[in-house]
Amino acid sequence: MNQEQLKTILWLRWRLMRNQWSRRGSLGAVLAVLISFGAITLAVGCFTAALLGAAFGLGDAKPVVIMGVWFGATAVFLFFWLIGLITELQRSETIDLQKLMHLPVALGQLFVVNYLVSHFTLSIIVMVPVMLGLAIGMIFARGAEMALMIPLALSMVVMITAWTYCLRGWLASMMSNPRRRRTVIMCISLSFILLAQGPNLYFNVFSRHAAFNQKAASGEERKHRRDAVEVTSPQSFDNLIAAQGFIPPFWVSVGAQGLAERNVLPALYGTLGCLCLATLGLRRAYRSTVRFYLGETGNKNSVHSKSADSAVKTVRAPIQSGNRFLEWQLPVVPEQSAALALATFRSLLRAPEVKMALGSSMISLLFVGAMIFLRSPPTLSDMTKPFIATGVETFSTFILVQFFANQFGFDRDGFRSLILSPAERRLILLGKNLAILPIGLGFGSILLALVSVWLHLPPLAVVAALFQLITLLLIASIGGNLLSILMPFRIQPGTMKPTKMPGLAMFVMILCQFLLPIAMAPAFAPPLLAWLWHRADLPAFVPVNLICSALLCGGLVLIYWQALTPLGRLLQRREAKILGVVTVEVE
Amino acid sequence: MNVAIETANLTRDFGKFRAVDELNLRVEAGRFYGFLGPNGAGKSTTIKMLTGLLAPSRGSIRILGEDTGDPKRALEVKRRIGVVPENLALFDNLTAREYLTFIGRMYLLPRDTVRARAEELLAMMELAHEEKKLTMEFSHGMKKKLALAAALIPNPDLLFLDEPFEGVDAVASRVLRDTLKQCVGRGATVFLTSHILEIVEKLCTDVGIIAHGKLVHQGTMEELHRDGSLEDKFLAVVGNGENETQKLSWLE
Repeated sequence: MNQEQLKTILWLRWRLMRNQWSRRGSLGAVLAVLISFGAITLAVGCFTAALLGAAFGLGDAKPVVIMGVWFGATAVFLFFWLIGLITELQRSETIDLQKLMHLPVALGQLFVVNYLVSHFTLSIIVMVPVMLGLAIGMIFARGAEMALMIPLALSMVVMITAWTYCLRGWLASMMSNPRRRRTVIMCISLSFILLAQGPNLYFNVFSRHAAFNQKAASGEERKHRRDAVEVTSPQSFDNLIAAQGFIPPFWVSVGAQGLAERNVLPALYGTLGCLCLATLGLRRAYRSTVRFYLGETGNKNSVHSKSADSAVKTVRAPIQSGNRFLEWQLPVVPEQSAALALATFRSLLRAPEVKMALGSSMISLLFVGAMIFLRSPPTLSDMTKPFIATGVETFSTFILVQFFANQFGFDRDGFRSLILSPAERRLILLGKNLAILPIGLGFGSILLALVSVWLHLPPLAVVAALFQLITLLLIASIGGNLLSILMPFRIQPGTMKPTKMPGLAMFVMILCQFLLPIAMAPAFAPPLLAWLWHRADLPAFVPVNLICSALLCGGLVLIYWQALTPLGRLLQRREAKILGVVTVEVE
Repeated sequence: MNVAIETANLTRDFGKFRAVDELNLRVEAGRFYGFLGPNGAGKSTTIKMLTGLLAPSRGSIRILGEDTGDPKRALEVKRRIGVVPENLALFDNLTAREYLTFIGRMYLLPRDTVRARAEELLAMMELAHEEKKLTMEFSHGMKKKLALAAALIPNPDLLFLDEPFEGVDAVASRVLRDTLKQCVGRGATVFLTSHILEIVEKLCTDVGIIAHGKLVHQGTMEELHRDGSLEDKFLAVVGNGENETQKLSWLE
């Protein structure tokens, strides 16, 4: 590859990025400039801060402190790198080698260029200056031998990027099938969420639970536990330090500690080790890239299935019982709404991006649930407990707002079949709402069950809360229908990433996130009325909360039903515009 | 004779660009109408406006005698038409059979009819053995075949097909041609766009040619054949003489 070709490929990368931003309109362009400017300022600022901090703050620091600082810097770098990796995986447009392979450029050269270009990420732009600043600051503060930190830190970065590149290559070959691609992205994102929630789980749940148990334990037992902790803590810390030696990215902190103790060997070994691993990673990445482009992915399924397919071509496949799901009749629901509700529900549950969103919501629910159950229940009166139940139901509806407020964004090209269908548009809206209903009811019921057990809610309050849940779902449906019609945006397949989202839509969505709790405030009216009834010393046997909740729910059903017709008309008026937003077609 | 499609001064602007310019189209019922034009001439934009996928900037459309400008009448029209749009209209996460079931139910067909027709269409389009595949895993040709099956499932009076033969294999193409002929034979109207002049010449009874958004020719195939072949006519009304004779200097 000559210099001109290299320049052309770099220009291509820049152009792809620029076009991606310019598609978002003038607001997107302004945001891009601001982000670029912010990143450069942040990099310079971080470099200066790290340099000054190291030069003036770490001169007399103990080696273990030096190690801690580098450990922190490495951990932060890894954290942001991982976020960047997930974003990169969700992005469809990078420089795809396949699109360039017919040009007079060698695969190896393209591979190297693509690898080098992969370094232009926010995590590297910000974190590498931090590490360099730290290293240079420590040269001033502690002596020339600290210069060895520069190659050590850089080799660690190269090692990480090399193995990430290898991982991306492997995932790319796995994700050549679009269905598998979405599943891979979902699994990675969910793993990341779980990983990120780990410390939260440890500190907020288990530690507090342990503290609660300790509070409850007798004096002697408490003393015994304290002694045990005092003995095991230094040991744990030593083990943690020793463990770093076995985790390649943390050879940086081990090297830093060594240099602080005037021992250059850990840093030298670390640099050498990182470079060896980087070479290994790049070699492996290159080999898997070559294999992928030669079609030697080891996946023989496609070949097998093709030959098998041709053999059974003429045989009619029997209808499987699972396929009958879409033929179900829903009582009372009009035929077209039922068809759409079932098709949307099945489609949603199969879409990895939805599974990912629901999975992360479920994780949040589990954490909230765990935090609730591992703590002692508050001492509340029977009149205040229903407020908590309503709050929990509001929360469960709130986490589904992304589905209610953008009902057509997940349809993408499928939305075209809704426009072409002869169904009344109000029935389409009804079908769409019914598709989300089981998810909303499921989430709400799980949380309500947890809270009922935890607070020992009276049965009537539980029934009232169920009515409130339906009320909240109806409010979310009415508001969501309106937003879906007025501010639709396309969700990129396999991700929850909005595309073609105008600045105004983004602003409105953020605003609605804030305003939604206010719109849901009527659900708190029944427990409030029950509380006022109680305060006024009126007859206690009247289930005010239940009656008001049922009335409110009935009222909302009526309002919802009445709102469907004008919203349907609005949908019909705007459906061509919505189509332009939720599909990728360009006129 | 009844008129299946009639437009009056149909116009569509995209900003300053006029994609379709004062189009006055007339397609009689029971005819096989081929709508031709070079790339970017406005064929797909026209078909989108006729099917309600795009609002016209100006002008009126009557489909099967109904004014599609009236939202209620537009829904009535949709009950009687089948469409294969340019970019298809499939749900990524449904299987072929599920998609056909969904479409059949949206047209309020009885459950047994939907099942039987889906079965036949899947077998005809050779998609029956792809039972577990989601449409997102289909090749372009398979997606096209499924979209065609979906357009046929309600047994429409009028079929709009935007490039139906593009990406479809020879076997399916033959089956499709026979099916479309059968539809016209029982009185339905077919309106298709295609780049393949031979197919249009073989299948269509009527032809319309659009260039730069304007209808430059409309008539029966018989009338057209009196003056030569379809290709001759097409090149005569759309072809650019300069392009034909232009040579690339560095190839000489």
